Amino acid sequence: MNLGAFILKNALRNTRRALLCVLSVAACLFLFVSLLVCLRELTVPPEDIGASLRIAVRNKVSLTVQLPARQGPIIARVPGVAAVTPFSWFGGQFGTEEGTPFAQFAVDPAKFAAMFPDMRLPADQLANWIATRTGCIVGRDLAEKKNFKIGSRITLRGSVWPCDLELIVSGIYDYEIDSTSLFFDHKYLDEATGNTGTVGAWWVLAENAEAVPGIIDRINAAFANTSAEVRAETENAFRMSFVSMLGDIATLIGAICTVVVFTLGIVTASTMSMAVRERFPELAILKAMGFRTRELWAFILAESFLLAALGAVLGIGFAIAFYRSPPVVSAMSIYFPVFEISPRIMARAAIVAAGLGIVASLAPAIQVARLTVVDGLRTLD
Amino acid sequence: MASSDPIIRLKELTKIYQQGEIRVTALDGIDLDIAAGEFVALMGPSGSGKSTLLHIVAGIDRPTRGECWVGDIEVSRLNESQLAEWRNHTIGFIFQTFNLIPVLTAFENVELPLLLTGLAPRRRRELVQTALDIVGLSDRSRHLPRQMSGGQEQRVAIARAIVTDPPILVADEPTGNLDAHSAATVMETLQTLNGSAGKTIVMVTHDPRAASFGSRIIHLEKGELIRESATPPGGGTPA
Repeated sequence: MNLGAFILKNALRNTRRALLCVLSVAACLFLFVSLLVCLRELTVPPEDIGASLRIAVRNKVSLTVQLPARQGPIIARVPGVAAVTPFSWFGGQFGTEEGTPFAQFAVDPAKFAAMFPDMRLPADQLANWIATRTGCIVGRDLAEKKNFKIGSRITLRGSVWPCDLELIVSGIYDYEIDSTSLFFDHKYLDEATGNTGTVGAWWVLAENAEAVPGIIDRINAAFANTSAEVRAETENAFRMSFVSMLGDIATLIGAICTVVVFTLGIVTASTMSMAVRERFPELAILKAMGFRTRELWAFILAESFLLAALGAVLGIGFAIAFYRSPPVVSAMSIYFPVFEISPRIMARAAIVAAGLGIVASLAPAIQVARLTVVDGLRTLD
Repeated sequence: MASSDPIIRLKELTKIYQQGEIRVTALDGIDLDIAAGEFVALMGPSGSGKSTLLHIVAGIDRPTRGECWVGDIEVSRLNESQLAEWRNHTIGFIFQTFNLIPVLTAFENVELPLLLTGLAPRRRRELVQTALDIVGLSDRSRHLPRQMSGGQEQRVAIARAIVTDPPILVADEPTGNLDAHSAATVMETLQTLNGSAGKTIVMVTHDPRAASFGSRIIHLEKGELIRESATPPGGGTPA
């Protein structure tokens, strides 16, 4: 027997309790990892190559207030602007589903491909979309989920706009950032609503990254003191502000993470305290045999670490497997285009688990340090 | 066999427990010499201080006053770390409730004190096997404590106590939880260790029959040594 075997046998001596402790740690770490991924996706959205060149322009009052379409040509003439497209949220209902089951945007198909260079759409499908006023393109994940194919007809019932749209799938795009949306021609929206004068927002492509700050300033200045002042910002800044409209969700998730870790600490510390308390006589015997307090502390720390590590492996491992399973990927893609447990998040969860191992061993270690052999033996009586 | 040189020497040994405002004198100026190779039985009513005396001799408790010499070491002057190391080499413990680790086999329980010694695994196995041979339990080495009788458990505890070859064994009511037959077996094992291996044994007991295995019986009462008696040759032979 070596000390490792001794520690292992001690840690697993009460199988049910050890198992429950490991499962508690695993469940908490699963939740912790999930929350961290949510937090990252909300606060640090994934970026593609074109993100640094794209600028979102919206009404300064609110994202929900429309902008006049006449702004488009003015923005297009700003030095450094490569392309401009309207970008209007439709928010229609599909089939018998309640609410808006997937994102739908009205854009300018001719400018769209240049605007998102990382989006892969076959040239013939792009040409077909541009040529078809009622055409639309859908993301691969959305197409697979809804069984959309080229030529499929999609009816969207307007819930925000007072019209319904009859769309034909002209193309299916692949895009790592988001392949769950539908894009259609803004002209069709104008026709359907009978309103050619407004857009939801503008999406602007800069010629290069260095030009972006200047373009933002010029666009903001161009419409200052008009009836439709705008707020131009980088696409990432727009996303962040969009997230902030949901409230201080980062703080909320951070608070939940803290509670999860705190709960996890209590569970593990409680288990270790119980495990050590019921072994006081044995620990006293070990002290009598010549084991020093620091050696007993090392045993307890190792046991605590072992339980936390097993829980971490189980919790993180399950989270990885769970969020990679096709049904979950499909379900999550509605809310998060990418829901990946990065090595950084795994490392953070592992550090939390290691920290728990240490924290959970502190109280028992203090108990053992205070334990005299005589007192320990007295607990036998 | 006992030599005339004391291996344990207690001088004016006093132990006072302060429990709130109450002072309890567990030991009151005990002077006692125990020669190397002696088998001493400490007897007395509950609260007489015999267990406290045993604990101080074994280095797991400290006197309030007085000196406790074991060999040429004043035990009460050692710090906790030194005491731990000293106990590992010098003292073998045997307890009333055996105190084997339930998840370890007999072999592993006996091996425990050797984990501190830095001996190679092979050497440790040899020593454990020898200790189990001495107590007659080689065939039970793979058994867990719950798979053994009380007497067997206590003999495993004795093997654990002697595996590091300490010169002194301290036993606190070693037969207190055993039936008469098992108690006799355990006492015979201790007697053998005293006689053949020359171990100095200090044993606390309430049982006159167990005490009769010792070479000397020391009676304590209210923390004072009140009487000593030598057991007759052949004492301890089961009636």
